Amino acid sequence: MDEERVGHEQLDARAQGEKPAPVAKRETQDDPSGRAWTWQEDGYTVVRSNARSGPGCHDNCGVLMYVKDGVLEKIEGDPENPYNQGRLCPRCLAFKEMLYHEDRLKYPMKRAKEDRGKNAFTRITWDEAYDIIEREMKAVIEKYGNEAIWVTQGTGRDINGYGPLMAQYLGTPNYGTGFLSGQACYAPRIFSTALKAGGLFICDYSQFFPDRYDDPRWEAPEYVLIWGNNPVVANSDGTLGHWIVESMKRGSKLIVMDPMLTWVAGKADVFLQVRPGTDAALALALCNQIIADGLQDQEFIDYWCYGYDEFAEHVKGNTPAWAAEICGVDEDLIVEAARKIGNAKSCCLQWGVAMDHTSEGFITGMACFDLMALTGNFEKPGTMVAANPVWDMSVTWMPRDKVWRECSEPVKDQGRTMNFDYPALKAMAAISPDMLLTAMETGEPYPIKAMFMMQNNAIACMGAAPQRILPALQKMEFNVVVDLFLTPTALACADVLLPAACFAERIGITGHQPYALGSIAQAVEPLGECKSDQRIIYETGSRFTTDEYKQWDDEQGFYDYLLRNTGYSYEELRERTWAYPEFEYRKNEKGMLRPDGTVGFATSTGRYNFYCPEMLHFGLSPLATYEEPPESPVSRPDLAEKYPLVLTTGARPWGFFHSEHRQSPSMRRLHPNPEIRIHPETASKYGIAEGDWVHIENNFGSCKQKAHLTTRIRKDTVSADHAWWFPERGPEDGTLFGVMESNINRLVPMRPGKVGLGASYKSQLCSISKIEE
Amino acid sequence: MNQVLVVDYDYCSGCHTCEIACQQEHGFAPDQYGIKLTQVGPDQITERKWQYDFVPVPTDRCDRCAKRQDSGKVPSCVQHCQAGCIYVGTLDEVSDKLGKGKVVLFT
Repeated sequence: MDEERVGHEQLDARAQGEKPAPVAKRETQDDPSGRAWTWQEDGYTVVRSNARSGPGCHDNCGVLMYVKDGVLEKIEGDPENPYNQGRLCPRCLAFKEMLYHEDRLKYPMKRAKEDRGKNAFTRITWDEAYDIIEREMKAVIEKYGNEAIWVTQGTGRDINGYGPLMAQYLGTPNYGTGFLSGQACYAPRIFSTALKAGGLFICDYSQFFPDRYDDPRWEAPEYVLIWGNNPVVANSDGTLGHWIVESMKRGSKLIVMDPMLTWVAGKADVFLQVRPGTDAALALALCNQIIADGLQDQEFIDYWCYGYDEFAEHVKGNTPAWAAEICGVDEDLIVEAARKIGNAKSCCLQWGVAMDHTSEGFITGMACFDLMALTGNFEKPGTMVAANPVWDMSVTWMPRDKVWRECSEPVKDQGRTMNFDYPALKAMAAISPDMLLTAMETGEPYPIKAMFMMQNNAIACMGAAPQRILPALQKMEFNVVVDLFLTPTALACADVLLPAACFAERIGITGHQPYALGSIAQAVEPLGECKSDQRIIYETGSRFTTDEYKQWDDEQGFYDYLLRNTGYSYEELRERTWAYPEFEYRKNEKGMLRPDGTVGFATSTGRYNFYCPEMLHFGLSPLATYEEPPESPVSRPDLAEKYPLVLTTGARPWGFFHSEHRQSPSMRRLHPNPEIRIHPETASKYGIAEGDWVHIENNFGSCKQKAHLTTRIRKDTVSADHAWWFPERGPEDGTLFGVMESNINRLVPMRPGKVGLGASYKSQLCSISKIEE
Repeated sequence: MNQVLVVDYDYCSGCHTCEIACQQEHGFAPDQYGIKLTQVGPDQITERKWQYDFVPVPTDRCDRCAKRQDSGKVPSCVQHCQAGCIYVGTLDEVSDKLGKGKVVLFT
């Protein structure tokens, strides 16, 4: 809190024209002496950096970029960087294939509105691009109000923290992920668990320590509970999945819940192969069995939890037998998993987006956190530890209001945020993408008339029901798209198309990690006239604000401004490339979690809430309660007659980050075609052989993908790829790079859960049939 | 003495990093390999036990990254392997890696 107060005083001083008092450098665990950010080696200039997108992903791996004559010739993992310790994934190793791809956008372009969908762009200058944006956006504002503009981002990337500034410049409260039904990525889980535990908690794989696994304070989790996540592939949300492999080498054992046998599932002590969408029942049954066996951590419960008795009573009926029937797994396995968790010295939860991908999936987050609290697995080595932004740098994560407060006029009339139907979204100051799509289509409750889309290939990727989104985008009065490539979404709707820089072409700071703060160093000049997303945002924004809000003169000044309360300038951060703040376990016992400095958790009760009173306010049960997915063989037997298989989508492949990397030859070699995984017995029932094109259909829509037969998947379930398009076809054939042909989201409705959060991307019904060629 | 490659394939997750690291290091095309991933399974051995393993196999194109090693670096696949399960060295140097199950040695 002291830091915040210092920050405000500084701002006040600056406003009065005084020189701000210098801020002391924050203490770090790592010693940067001898660390350089650039050097000469064998005729190369080597630039040390953190690979913070684009292209991809949700991580910040340390890289060494080897540059000769201004060209990036190779990229390697940085052996000294604690985050990845020299390792690097295939996508980054083949980064050059994206950076120097002939299809990269290099110049700003415009296109006449009537030519949307056609490859009829004309190169323009940045000034003309900003002129057009200023003219068209101001016309929309004049006619319909600022809130008629929706500023969107794609997933994570390096736009999370900065996109809200674009919305603030345009004066609109409508900022968020473009067409992600139910905000179904992290937001549902964060919403439900923040109310219970008072913040974000993540699994401890030693990533808070610069000496990592060797740090004497750290102990490997005895069990890692991997919940609908394939961490070695997905690398979700600032977690490098292979940290789990290192933990396994040091004794960690696995319990895995997944409809598909993943590699981690094959290594698990217990593999719970559930029917998609039923996992909340499993979590409640694990709690039930732990209580029945008396394996709960009574001391943790007594000291640090609220509502345990109600919870214990509540889960009495959620027996392993009950869950076994719902989930389609053996009762014995559930009992065994519960006893292993209950008897373990430490256990932590490795979750992923799957939890958000059933309509009421955030309940699963609640139930899994209850399981962790029940067994006292918080704030000890190898358990769930608090994950707050390093030095309050929330811009690296999800920016709090104050981050951009001094950078333009505040957005007027926050009450207009498109979320009225959902108190939970209001509480989070989040938009409802579902309501926004309806507003684009119908003008109700008020019209949406312009889009500013950043790194957001919505039609191909996160948008459910793309068959609705495409026409809605094409009838907007004005659309701006910022991206690395001409995507199907850009081709479909952009009136102004702006070329973004890759991470090697710009400076920046890392994001999405609470363990360390790092720098992105520029290694090469941007291709053509590409600019960083951040620069595009503030240069565009300068057309919509006045000089009194000007806080920086150039890109380095922009990061200096953001870093002003850390004691580091951008250049000082770049010198050391990474900085690990002090870290302590047992923060709940030391008064380090609550803003008021008292012991406990940062919740309304000061304790972990088994019983969560706030849930009542949102019309929900204050105790985690299982609900069947809206479309399932159990909830909709009528529908299941026609569509007998459970459809789960979006399993992560090695080579792609969502809709990216389809152009990269090395990555495409790994995944040449859109693939639906079918059990051989199921496939044979429908006369489908390996490699056949398969028509996939349900009550919402249809598409086609290629069959891959594997015993890894449940017999009653099929697992289909997401985010496919075919850049190799070129933009001329009128199919928008074939984006609708294999688009599994045509079978997914744009329809959130009851409180506006969560959507059934991973639990639909479908039928499959062979396409005769 | 000739160097051998050792793979502790209990930990190989099948991530393809070795293949891509090698191709990038040597300028190989996407269908040329200095090391190639192979797959065992998925095979359900008992009700509870599956084998679903991956084993990278060095090919005749593999030169143990002689150029890198000259400048004091380990081969690119060894450095970048996300699971940290590939080792290089003389037989003596890697002997401590061999005393467990699921380890292969390529001479």
